[in-house]
Amino acid sequence: MRKRPPGLFPTKISAGPPRNIKADQTANDTSPAGVSAANRLARPTIASSMAAALARPALSPIGRIRNKSTLICHEDDPRVFRVPLLVALSLVIAFGGGIVFTLLALDATSGFGAIKLGAWQAFPEMQTADADPYAKSHRARAGRLLYGTAEGLVFTASEDDAGGRLTANCSYRISGQTPPARLWTLFIAGNDGEPIEGAAGRPSTINSWVVLRNPDSTFSITVSRSAQAGNWLALPQAGNFRLVWTLLDSPAASNSGLIDLGMPKLEKIGCGNV
Amino acid sequence: MFKLVFAILTGLFGAALLHIVIILSLPHFSDRDAYTRVSDEGDENHFYMLDDKDDDAGLSNTDPYMRTAVCAFDIEDKPVHLTAKGKVPFWSLAVYDAASNEVFSMSDRTSVGGALDLLLASPVQLTGIRKALPPALAQSILVEVPRTQGYAVLRTMAPQASFDAAAREFLSEAGCDEFDNG
Repeated sequence: MRKRPPGLFPTKISAGPPRNIKADQTANDTSPAGVSAANRLARPTIASSMAAALARPALSPIGRIRNKSTLICHEDDPRVFRVPLLVALSLVIAFGGGIVFTLLALDATSGFGAIKLGAWQAFPEMQTADADPYAKSHRARAGRLLYGTAEGLVFTASEDDAGGRLTANCSYRISGQTPPARLWTLFIAGNDGEPIEGAAGRPSTINSWVVLRNPDSTFSITVSRSAQAGNWLALPQAGNFRLVWTLLDSPAASNSGLIDLGMPKLEKIGCGNV
Repeated sequence: MFKLVFAILTGLFGAALLHIVIILSLPHFSDRDAYTRVSDEGDENHFYMLDDKDDDAGLSNTDPYMRTAVCAFDIEDKPVHLTAKGKVPFWSLAVYDAASNEVFSMSDRTSVGGALDLLLASPVQLTGIRKALPPALAQSILVEVPRTQGYAVLRTMAPQASFDAAAREFLSEAGCDEFDNG
């Protein structure tokens, strides 16, 4: 291991070139005890060595020592701020970064146990004790009443099948069949998951009792701003939205993978006034 | 400089550690989780109906077609008897503990005659009840609840506006009372 250069030891710093220090050292401490004592005195604390290392390129004339056992740091020396600044930088990154990153992570996701069927995403275990810590933190912060395993399962879509964000400028068609369920409801929600305000003549909700079906039990729902024939959900004027589909009394909630589940397709059929 | 990079790396390590600590301890310290909100609705052992808009405690029927009622309970002294009946197309119940973990859930398909009749009790209380089943609980489902505090969520569906009155009656007459054994 290379011995530290004398320049690191504050007691050894002087205005002169390093060879003067070596000369002083060898001249004054010839005995092994003396050398080790000088080394112990000279062994730097982490603070002083960091300060000294940072200051190494520019040796200040203030640093001239009078006595090799006194430390160099004078109160007018700007180098005394290096260490507190570094410590403050570490703490700011740790606390600020940690908290901001945690909040971002909790807002962005509801945990890891998601099942995704096309554009529809559900969290069947979010309300149970088996949820991962992110899911438990998310539900502790959101504080919503979740559906139990025997009650139902909630699917949310914030993008269409092609991956484009659902926006109120465009029109969408939902077609197909849901997994077996006694009842289901579908409503348009804002980005926070709350149902949007409905206006008279502009339905934003539908359920399995009122939906119009084809002879083979499939259905087609159009989601757009302007009225359409058949099943229609009215979009607000502008902004992004989500679709929330709740399956009630469905084996999908406690599915262990044996049943092949499929949710309806969600495709964009046009944007603007097309 | 090397020391600057070292300080930044230390900060990042501290951020990761703090992130893990926050994620793991947030459920304990959260004051806006579901159990706190249900307790803020009012007294225990009473089903409170929720509106479509968030009330003071921050709870609402999240679905325009569902009507919800919540009841906070504490089974430390006595078990809790949940009852409800009415002509509704669908109802479902979920029981959660104070950490919002699901303890039990059911729907009207798994009920006896379409009526809700459930007893929540601790393991010790259940043993005593099973030894000598009171006649009031002859058709009840007995559910073991490991922790003493929790809340129950009763939901029913009103698929069209004409079902609204029946849904409100079902929820307003639901009972979440302490069960006096003898």
